[in-house]
Amino acid sequence: MRFLPKSLVLVGALAAAGLAQAADIKIGVAAALTGGAAQYGVAIRNGFQLAADEINAKGGVNGNKIQLVVEDEQGKKEEGINVFKKLIFQDKVLMVFGPTLSNSMFAAGPVANGAKTVVFGTSVTANGITDIGPYVFRNSVMESDVLPVTVATATKHYKLKQVAVIYGNDDAFTKSGYDVFKKVLEDQKLPVTTTETYVKGDVDFKAQLTKIKASNPDAVICSCLAEEAANIMLQARGLGIKVPFIGGNGFNSPKLFEISKLAGEGTFVGSPWSNTNPAPANKAFVAAYVKKYNAEPNQFAAQAFDALHVAAAALQEVKLSGDIAADREALKNALPKATINGATGPFKFRPAVTKSGKPGGWDADQKPFIYVVKGGKFTAFDGK
Amino acid sequence: MEWFNDFWSTYSTLVFSVGVHALLALSIWLTLSCGLLSLANAAFMGVGAYVSALLTLHLEWSFGSVLLAGGIAPTLVALIIGAPVLRLSGVYLAMATLAFGEVVRITVLNLEITGGPEGLNGIPLATEGWHIALILAVTVYGLARLRRSKVGRAFEAIKEDEVAARLMGINVDRYKLLAFSLGAFIAGVAGALNAHFTFFISPREYGFENAVDILTMAVLGGTSSLIGPMLGSSILTLLPELLRSLQDFRSLVNGAVLVLVVLFLPKGLWESRRIRAFFKRLKGGQA
Repeated sequence: MRFLPKSLVLVGALAAAGLAQAADIKIGVAAALTGGAAQYGVAIRNGFQLAADEINAKGGVNGNKIQLVVEDEQGKKEEGINVFKKLIFQDKVLMVFGPTLSNSMFAAGPVANGAKTVVFGTSVTANGITDIGPYVFRNSVMESDVLPVTVATATKHYKLKQVAVIYGNDDAFTKSGYDVFKKVLEDQKLPVTTTETYVKGDVDFKAQLTKIKASNPDAVICSCLAEEAANIMLQARGLGIKVPFIGGNGFNSPKLFEISKLAGEGTFVGSPWSNTNPAPANKAFVAAYVKKYNAEPNQFAAQAFDALHVAAAALQEVKLSGDIAADREALKNALPKATINGATGPFKFRPAVTKSGKPGGWDADQKPFIYVVKGGKFTAFDGK
Repeated sequence: MEWFNDFWSTYSTLVFSVGVHALLALSIWLTLSCGLLSLANAAFMGVGAYVSALLTLHLEWSFGSVLLAGGIAPTLVALIIGAPVLRLSGVYLAMATLAFGEVVRITVLNLEITGGPEGLNGIPLATEGWHIALILAVTVYGLARLRRSKVGRAFEAIKEDEVAARLMGINVDRYKLLAFSLGAFIAGVAGALNAHFTFFISPREYGFENAVDILTMAVLGGTSSLIGPMLGSSILTLLPELLRSLQDFRSLVNGAVLVLVVLFLPKGLWESRRIRAFFKRLKGGQA
């Protein structure tokens, strides 16, 4: 009996060696798992984990299993850089997904680009991200792709003649959303009656809303995060503003209706993902996500899920040589050609248009879904 | 050598951060050594970071002059606000300097040239290890000399008893302003260094939270000597990275360490008298 533990150790070691050999595509995931952006980061990690499990259960990519190396970047720029460096230089991953926030990407992206390693953002919508360099990819659909469609659809549906605008002017996300709205309204020649602002943490919007009411708009455009948007809707109805709202990406949260109840009826929102999209790929994703995590998926999980499938599609075309620098380069060259039909619909890349004119990275080329809110739920808008 | 290259490419940013945080902790140590509880250092850091980044991006100044400008700009601001603000003391000074920090943050948020809430991105990498090492060495040497000089003695006298210092003929207001603006200079240079290795700056990095972080570094290390702030800043920067393997429990352990230090070593980790006593006891034990 004395040799038994030893042989068990041997078997264990062999099994471990076998596992290590099968798990041979290391992919880094940097997500904000703690801190202010954790609500997005955790959903993103779940999306990646789900996709990796699914790919590995089907035998991996060309027989190679995908091994995710997940690190917490806390939504801070220095942490983002540290995590990227650890993943790229120490763990020697083939490519990096993340980080969660655009700010962190501006700091960490150049690190990956300088190290000639593909960095793939799933939730970084800010302008200029793909200006960083040719190794930068994202499947996050930018506001500048979504909002023109949202505004045009709402204008047609409600026959809008003039709109009011409200936005948070101290937050990178809501401010850049506003900049896009402003340009879209100019392009579509929709006059603005008044533009109101608030700062993060405000709970009382009556002063701004009273001004909006007096300016008599046909709709209120709102570049706000979900919590503030819900309060704005509730208080607008309280003041007797009956016109519909038009929202940006910040509206894409179930929280919006938890707080605002039925105040948001008729709101138009554009989103890269729809939980009611009946496409089989999306139905399978939603079912698998609910089964594994016992929670409803959101847009961030869906985009992360799709991102790994995009990478897997590209990896299928790459012959891995074992030389990490050559493999990273091969992946960078294969990735732009990858297309999938995933949870967020048909996906392909398009080359980014950079400010400097130098070749940049790759943006998502995807059509947004337009929703209208009915009965406290997002309902796909069918154009009638 | 290869091992070192791997280590350096992974952790160079962390080492840079240790140096920059040490500078910040020293900058607040300077005002604390004069008995001033000023929380404006994060804002001074921000002014330095923005001024230097804008000079690099738009005017393409050389890095040396950019660093100098990054230090001088907050010093000028400190000289202007110092005169009225330094009439306050204790928590009132802390409140006024915090309010100043908010003013800086909101100004940066609303200016066109600073990129507003979206910040400035695409700042080229210019900071190298030896820049930080050299500046830190010069700062430590300068501060060590300062402590032993007439100025340092005056700071100490003001810290112990302002009225007594005034009666001894020390120009209290002028020395306070000197400590305040020198601190601003160091913080500004630290901000400029930081901006040139993180590629990106935004207003949220220089707010209340960071002001408190800087104070924590100095207080955790101990403010009785120059070693304390440097020790405190190194620990606070390295600890989260060393605890990375704990994953979900990281923040918890990080916080617990801080609580334990404050509970059992209320004067900070490095208290000269205690350390000296410890070594004396060690010697006594051997004999």
